[in-house]
Amino acid sequence: MRIERRSFLALALGMPALAVLGGCDDDRGKVGRLRGTWGRSGVTDGRFNKPRAMAIDGNDQIYIVDITARIQVFTTEGEFLRGWQTPVHANGRPTGLGIDRRGNLLVADTHYYRVLTYSPQGELLETLGGTFGHAPGEFGFVTDAVEDAEGNLYVSEYGEYDRIQKFSRDGKFLLEWGGHGTDTGQFSRPQCLALDAEQHLWVSDACNHRIQVFDGQGQLLTCWGTHGSAPGQLAYPYGLVLDGQGHVYVTEYGNHRVQKFTLDGQSLGCWGHDGRGPGELLYPWALTRDSQGHFYVLDTGNHRVQCFDL
Amino acid sequence: MLHIAFDSPWFLLLLVALPWLWWISFRSLGGLGPVRRALAIALRTAVYVLLVLALSEMQWVRSTDRLTVIYLLDQSLSISQSQTDAMIKYINESIRKQRDAAREDRAGVIVFGTEAAVELPPLDETQQMPRVETMIDREHTNLAGAMKMAVACFPHDTEKRIVILTDGNQNVGDALAQARALADANIGIDVVPIRSQSFGEVSVEKVSIPADVRRGQPFDVSVVLNNKTAEGRESKSVEGRLQIVRKAGGREQMLTDQDVTVEPGVHAFRAREEIESPDFYTYEARFVPKNPADDTLPQNNQATTFTHVRGSGQVLVLEDFENKGEFKFFVERLRAMNIEVALRSTRPEELFNDLAELQPYDSIVLANVPREQFSDEQVEMLARNTQNMGGGLIMMGGPNSFGAGGWTNTPVEEVMPVEFQIKNAKVIPVGALAMLMHASEMADGNYWQKVIAREALKTLGDQDYCGVIHWGLREEWLWGGRQGMLKVGPNRGQMLGRLDRMTPGDMPEFESSLILARNEFANLPDAASKHMIIISDGDPADANYGPSGGIAGLIKQGVKISTVAIGAHGAAGHARLRAMALKTGGKYYVVTNARTLPRIYQKEARRISRSLVFERATGFRPQIKYPHEMVQGIENPLPPITGYVLTTAKDNPLVEISLVSPEPPGQTNNTILASWTYGLGKAVAFTTDAGHRWASDWVSWSEYDRLFSQIVRWSMRPSGDTGKFTVSTDVRDGKVRVVVTALDKDDEFLNFLNFSSIVVGPDMKPIDLGIKQTAPGRYIGEFDAKKTGSYLLMVSPGAGKAPIRAGLSIPYSDEFRERETNDALLTSLAHVAPKDGAAGQVIDAPANLTGDERLAHMLETNEFRRDLAPATSSQGVWHLLVLTASCLFFFDIFVRRVTVSFAWVGPLAVGVRDRLLGRDNAKDVEATIERLRSSKAEVAGQLEQKLAALRFEPAAETPGDATTLEETIAKTNEAAARQAAKPASLTPEQEQDSYTARLLKAKQKARGDQKKDQPDRPESTG
Repeated sequence: MRIERRSFLALALGMPALAVLGGCDDDRGKVGRLRGTWGRSGVTDGRFNKPRAMAIDGNDQIYIVDITARIQVFTTEGEFLRGWQTPVHANGRPTGLGIDRRGNLLVADTHYYRVLTYSPQGELLETLGGTFGHAPGEFGFVTDAVEDAEGNLYVSEYGEYDRIQKFSRDGKFLLEWGGHGTDTGQFSRPQCLALDAEQHLWVSDACNHRIQVFDGQGQLLTCWGTHGSAPGQLAYPYGLVLDGQGHVYVTEYGNHRVQKFTLDGQSLGCWGHDGRGPGELLYPWALTRDSQGHFYVLDTGNHRVQCFDL
Repeated sequence: MLHIAFDSPWFLLLLVALPWLWWISFRSLGGLGPVRRALAIALRTAVYVLLVLALSEMQWVRSTDRLTVIYLLDQSLSISQSQTDAMIKYINESIRKQRDAAREDRAGVIVFGTEAAVELPPLDETQQMPRVETMIDREHTNLAGAMKMAVACFPHDTEKRIVILTDGNQNVGDALAQARALADANIGIDVVPIRSQSFGEVSVEKVSIPADVRRGQPFDVSVVLNNKTAEGRESKSVEGRLQIVRKAGGREQMLTDQDVTVEPGVHAFRAREEIESPDFYTYEARFVPKNPADDTLPQNNQATTFTHVRGSGQVLVLEDFENKGEFKFFVERLRAMNIEVALRSTRPEELFNDLAELQPYDSIVLANVPREQFSDEQVEMLARNTQNMGGGLIMMGGPNSFGAGGWTNTPVEEVMPVEFQIKNAKVIPVGALAMLMHASEMADGNYWQKVIAREALKTLGDQDYCGVIHWGLREEWLWGGRQGMLKVGPNRGQMLGRLDRMTPGDMPEFESSLILARNEFANLPDAASKHMIIISDGDPADANYGPSGGIAGLIKQGVKISTVAIGAHGAAGHARLRAMALKTGGKYYVVTNARTLPRIYQKEARRISRSLVFERATGFRPQIKYPHEMVQGIENPLPPITGYVLTTAKDNPLVEISLVSPEPPGQTNNTILASWTYGLGKAVAFTTDAGHRWASDWVSWSEYDRLFSQIVRWSMRPSGDTGKFTVSTDVRDGKVRVVVTALDKDDEFLNFLNFSSIVVGPDMKPIDLGIKQTAPGRYIGEFDAKKTGSYLLMVSPGAGKAPIRAGLSIPYSDEFRERETNDALLTSLAHVAPKDGAAGQVIDAPANLTGDERLAHMLETNEFRRDLAPATSSQGVWHLLVLTASCLFFFDIFVRRVTVSFAWVGPLAVGVRDRLLGRDNAKDVEATIERLRSSKAEVAGQLEQKLAALRFEPAAETPGDATTLEETIAKTNEAAARQAAKPASLTPEQEQDSYTARLLKAKQKARGDQKKDQPDRPESTG
């Protein structure tokens, strides 16, 4: 068979193109661009051992706590600034961080049933809770804490009583809602909290594989998400970020990815998949977004942070 | 810095052949033209050179001045915690101040005792060591082993130095020999001596008693005390109390408790003693100093020895502490039959902890006791007591014995005449065990999970199913893919391999794993018992207790869940684990010490072994199968029993099965009584009980006493008069010398005896003791005794003679003997210079400096100094050379075979130019056509000429280029004359003949010429 030169060229150029197109099927719904990676495994300053929670303050300083109960502060470029450790951690380590309106760090000291408030320099300012139980002001495993515009504090917990408690500015118990279960309004490990501009509380209901949204009185506004690995589905959503532009971003511990949604749960694409290379994730716990709109995902299984645009 | 080197430089001599290659190529490639020829020769030269370089194994060699320093920190027992802290501080400061980060120096730490372990791997960062976290055996100082490990840890591409921090009192290995090996590898050695802070030391060197202690004969107990004074200090006597205690049969008696003054040096103290009754006696001597400051180490203040005075045979019956009294009747009847019986429960404080403690007993009865009530060491002792020390072992039946008691795959099963798993049964009862492993945040959590899973797997029979759920990328089975519960038998090896590689992740919730287990249990309808064990710290999200949840599904299938809370996160973690166990009828355990975990798992895994128990309420009569001496005098029919434990008789001719059960019919797993000899001892398996549960009809049987007394007596160790043999032992420098003196009944020496002997050490491993005769009646053997604890000797004088037993005790580690720093060794180590570098340094400080001053003085020596040869790393490149040569060879062929013309370039360029400039090229086209026509005509003419030249015209001659015009004219005339002389037949028409015809004519002419040249030659007749 004689192949003309033109045909040969077309074939030679077309084959790689076909190969690339063939791979598109796997990358269905993939969006985003990796900007950089920082951090590595270790116990010295600037290194991590299974980092579990992350928060970013108004100065774009990133706070990260790992399984050694060290809270370390970094620039967005990954430069280590300072660090300290929680007072006790024999029972277990914190799994949630947040920033309050004054710029202080809220630490969900999970296994001591309390919320610690630190100054940005690491000075312990306040302690809320500390008693195991299900009475008002008592906690199970505390997972996260956020402060609304009025200074009220929402604290999520799991264990026997998966619920959210709301406290006033001066630490007074206001209300609680939830309970362990799969019905809407109930939770199974509410792992992360976030507030939108309307002061609605977004909750990643991790082991029910869904996102629930409540108003300030605990009334359910919306609930979406099903278990699975396809785009639009969720597996153990551990981290949650809102961008104020009609999008919500979720880290999936079980699917090893970050997924972008509209506020009503329509998937707009995924970033990352399981692995150890750049742009790949292993058991990601937390997600945050800086003032420039760049995202930072806590790649727990790889002991690092990855920065990306989505 | 990069340079090249050759491993086989002699091959470079092949390069001298290059001129020859050039000469050959120049001649053979003449037709290519000058450019192509030069190119081809260049390529050919390159190919040849590359191949020669590949043959000579060319290497890229990179040299670097980066330095790796590994600190070897002595953690043997002779190093106190304060010394360790000081050394850690020194290491941290040294790394922090002296490491050159810009040059990417690396620093690491290895800790060592008997073995070595990496505390900090050598990394290029300022690592700091808060404390020693690695657990190692600290009984000895194996400096050489640590040096070997350091060699293995060094990166290959840096300079290397070890810094040894030790007191130098090695008692395993040869550090100096190892240092020489390090020097050959260009590794520098610095030494930091750890100085003792002791002022004085009194130790109990040994306590000794005569070798041939007999009943009623007085003897001396000698205690040797050693008062050592620290170097550089004035020696002085030390006052204190010396106590000697005798222990026997669980009783303690103080023989002496006196004030003594120990003068400097070695001194012996004695106490008078007399033994009145046969038993196993242990003597313990203790020295208590009046002023604790006079004695640095309390660990070496006591020593023990023991002796055994024989009486009549004694039997130890061990019963389950949770079911006490089950064998009361059995014990009473044995005692009634004049057998001395000691009854003990398996409560830890009552159990034996040393093989020596089993020696007073000639047989041991395990009376329905489960495996998990014994430690691994105790199980090993039971087996070794029978195999090596000749003691009998009887396992009595009950639901906690044999396979049902979790004894499968233990050393005791090896000793028994039956296997505890059943084979060849028509219906094999099957169990299924699922284990859920959740990563624990406790130290070594993953390690313990593997230990536990291994132990549980060992307990399971071949026919049982086992699966492990862990969190990989999601909740998943460790083996089998979706079908995670596999039969243990064919997969046991693979399962153990997978367990070794298991790294459980942090599981978010219990529910998904419970559903995984529920679904898989549903696929195992043949499993008679189903069980699940969860090990967790309790922080995954709670299970769903609703009707659609995993717990409900498991309960429906009869699966019980036992939960083990380890490192649980306070009350919240405990509560949920407890709830799961309570809900499903399983057990809930809280573990604070990980070492107890394997025992819990053995107990839990045993739950699924219940299927090995065969029970029938209507009863059935065991039958005598073989008239062994244990059943002598007993006739069929025997009273009925209602149950026993299924086992499989071992396929060994030594196994004798005396009693079998008719139920279940057609089985080969129906052994009731079997026996054999295992090693030096005898073992008996009796699979039903002694009257409490299954053999209740036997209690009133007239032959009960006869049967059980015969079983026990058969199993007992033979006894005899061993008075003519004496065994003495002596410990020196970590070696034990055993001297046996043999006399006959007339006190004459017994010569040429063939002793077989064995020693069982504290680790239960048998040590072969080769005893040889050295003098009339005197036999000597020797063995290493490095470990502390009891060593038991079993010396057999020959067949039919009762064995002689003896023992000795190593009271404390050698680490507590030497206190002075071994400066001689440390200096020698530092002075071993590496091959291409400077010798190391001894980093010390004057004795008057302490604390930070001492540290500062020591830090004046830089561990990261550059006085070693630069490190090199080489990389072979032969494969790259061969690849390049192959590519060049292709071009070489291309250049020679393919003519590349560039004539098309000019017109193309013109065309492109015109097109770009937009010129009207109609004229050019016409001119081009004209040029083409003329070129065509020219080419046609040339072709005509070439064809003419190819015609065969022998007469025609072409004038050479170099001839003059006159010569040409002359030659032309000559040719014309020759033409004229030719025959007239050569007409112009003939020139029109075909090429073939002309060839034929030329051939004929040539033949004619030949004939003319050979006129006399006869014509061939063909």
